Amino acid sequence: MQVAILSLSSCLGCQMVFLNLEEYFYAFIGDNRIAYAPLLMDHREMPNVDLALVEGTARNAGHFLKVREVREKAERVVALGTCACFGGVQGLANRFSEESLLEGRFGTETIEGAPQGVRRLLPLDSYIRVDAYLPGCPPSPELLRDFLQLLLTGSTPVREGSTVCAECTVVSPQLPQPGPRRITEAAPPTGICLLDAGFLCMGPLTRDGCGALCPSTMGVPCRGCRGPSSRVLTDPSLDMEEETARRISRATGTKREDVKAAIKDPVHTHYLFTLAEPILRRRRRGGTAPYLYRLGERGSGR
Amino acid sequence: MTELVIDPITRIFGNASLRVDMEESGRARVRFQAYGYRGLERIVRGAHLENLLPVVSRICGVDSLFHQVAASLAVEKALGLEVSSNLRDLRNLALWAQFFERHAISLFVHGLPDLLFPASDPGLRNLVSIYRVDEEVVRRLLGLKSLGTTVLREVAGAAVHPMNFRPAGAARDVSQEVRRGLLERLNGARPLLAETARLVKLILRRNEELVNQAGDAPTAYLALKGQSGMEIEGASPALLGPEAPHPALLSMEELPGKLREENSPSSHVRYAGLEGVDRLKVGPLARLNVNGRYGSPWADEELEELKAQWGFPVHRCLLGHALRMLEMIHAWERMMALLQGPPLEDIHAEVRPAAGRAAAMLEAPEGSLVYILEVSEEGLVERLSVFSPLQFNLRSLEKSLSEVSAALGGTEREGKAEDLLQMVIRAYAPCIPCGVH
Repeated sequence: MQVAILSLSSCLGCQMVFLNLEEYFYAFIGDNRIAYAPLLMDHREMPNVDLALVEGTARNAGHFLKVREVREKAERVVALGTCACFGGVQGLANRFSEESLLEGRFGTETIEGAPQGVRRLLPLDSYIRVDAYLPGCPPSPELLRDFLQLLLTGSTPVREGSTVCAECTVVSPQLPQPGPRRITEAAPPTGICLLDAGFLCMGPLTRDGCGALCPSTMGVPCRGCRGPSSRVLTDPSLDMEEETARRISRATGTKREDVKAAIKDPVHTHYLFTLAEPILRRRRRGGTAPYLYRLGERGSGR
Repeated sequence: MTELVIDPITRIFGNASLRVDMEESGRARVRFQAYGYRGLERIVRGAHLENLLPVVSRICGVDSLFHQVAASLAVEKALGLEVSSNLRDLRNLALWAQFFERHAISLFVHGLPDLLFPASDPGLRNLVSIYRVDEEVVRRLLGLKSLGTTVLREVAGAAVHPMNFRPAGAARDVSQEVRRGLLERLNGARPLLAETARLVKLILRRNEELVNQAGDAPTAYLALKGQSGMEIEGASPALLGPEAPHPALLSMEELPGKLREENSPSSHVRYAGLEGVDRLKVGPLARLNVNGRYGSPWADEELEELKAQWGFPVHRCLLGHALRMLEMIHAWERMMALLQGPPLEDIHAEVRPAAGRAAAMLEAPEGSLVYILEVSEEGLVERLSVFSPLQFNLRSLEKSLSEVSAALGGTEREGKAEDLLQMVIRAYAPCIPCGVH
């Protein structure tokens, strides 16, 4: 299979994971022809390929043209990582206009050759049709390996979809607990549900697939880097901020309004990876169902 | 006037292009172009300190831990927090692992293929093509990269955007059993590291003409200066002038006042520098020239050989690859030493919200990384300024490219000029995501 691997506006973390695939990396580069990968090789032009893995999303007109080229030349396009799937952390810049963002950094000087910036940052599939998605910031090597293995069989990965909590192995403490709390203020207890312990864990609202590494193994709250769960994406009445406040309120016995008031940075806390995701505002063109069908990395390969 | 365009520059971290305009006078105008400002300094404003590290980590997936620790150090200084030496040891162990891993990529994936096969088609000078003819050599080189990745993953929780650390704390230590396993793995890799170091020395000697062609102008050098050799954290910044015999120490308190930043006319990477300094370099050359030694036995032994071969101080930019190899040996020795200690306790300090402002500097693999952070009374980020290694190096990189282009004088075939210019760029190991943040 001919494969292209490229990044748009991104941190390169997803491509680093590709390099971390150990044995599967060798199998992948041995069995397939890497036809375009500027991080690794010297091709200047992207040829027609069977599969393009695209990390990041469009920040400016240069990225937009690249995205269009990728769509024209690739049989199948994969949105690799949370930036490509949901906008990622850089999507928090949507709180500011492009002009004020650039002026804050560069003043009023013109930067020669700089492509026109986008008015607002959006996920990759706001620009082109995407055939498969692998969210994660970054996706774990195991997740990426399984995803690529499935793609190479010609399947389009699909999934049932659950939350990080479904994979988490911790137990609930006796309630009520103090909170809302931050991990900088108190060391979280190990083996205990961090949300029930009053910490701001996004596990109940976040897609599974990561094995709940943060809350289960590391003992740190989930930040939501795998993006919103299917329920969050499909239930118009479910608001991430309200839902977290409701759960913390139940765990700590604090009034919901007081919980919300105590969280001074609601956007960073609840929408760290997803502020650019249009579906949270019910604005994804073409409806939700086909998108949800493709948004996954496991399943029958229908 | 002739024009040379390299778009994209390949085998570097991120997207950039190069335009060189050769003027009639023989002068070359060089524009290193990288666009895509993401506004992460602005994005992080208003974030609780709990969310600071997850945001700054996303500046760069290659050096994510360096951004996290630079932010942590700035918080700790701003709030006057004392952190235990145990926490520092744990963080440093993870930092050395990422340092080792990043150097392995810069060296083996990006830089070395040019020097291994300088006469071959550039399209074949990469690990993927080499793998098709010699699997073993690629497995061995990337095996060293995996060594750093493994230590990093075990200590920091993940190799990219790790989650173990927070300001003034860590979620967990590394168990005795894991320490033993990592030590065993590091020990087992020693012969491979030694063999690779010999290979790097050999191919640089073989390419002496290329090394001499690729730029050697002395510059000022900025790096942390340790008490007994090179450090990546916890030492004082020092500046070595192009003609000065000894580096001058700068205090962290005075550093922000001396830093200068201005727009590049043709890039979203802004120039960074120090007041009164015209041409500055950070990175492996700067670290060696400022410190004079690494401070660990094996790396210093190898250094003597390098000094005998190439002289000291080191100005030739392509020798950055040789120094990366020595720094990998130094990092290996530091990881071995840090893993030999017992499991660490007392790795969390409480962060009470308070107002403060402080600067912190780390030696990231590419070079000095400076964070200046202001925190509000509520414990929210008020303002953040990040000075990345590429920003410090950009002016110097463009001048190196201009000098090399002028020396080629338009007489070389375009392909060869492209080759050499990209070799110079790869010798700086620039990271575009860090640069444009």
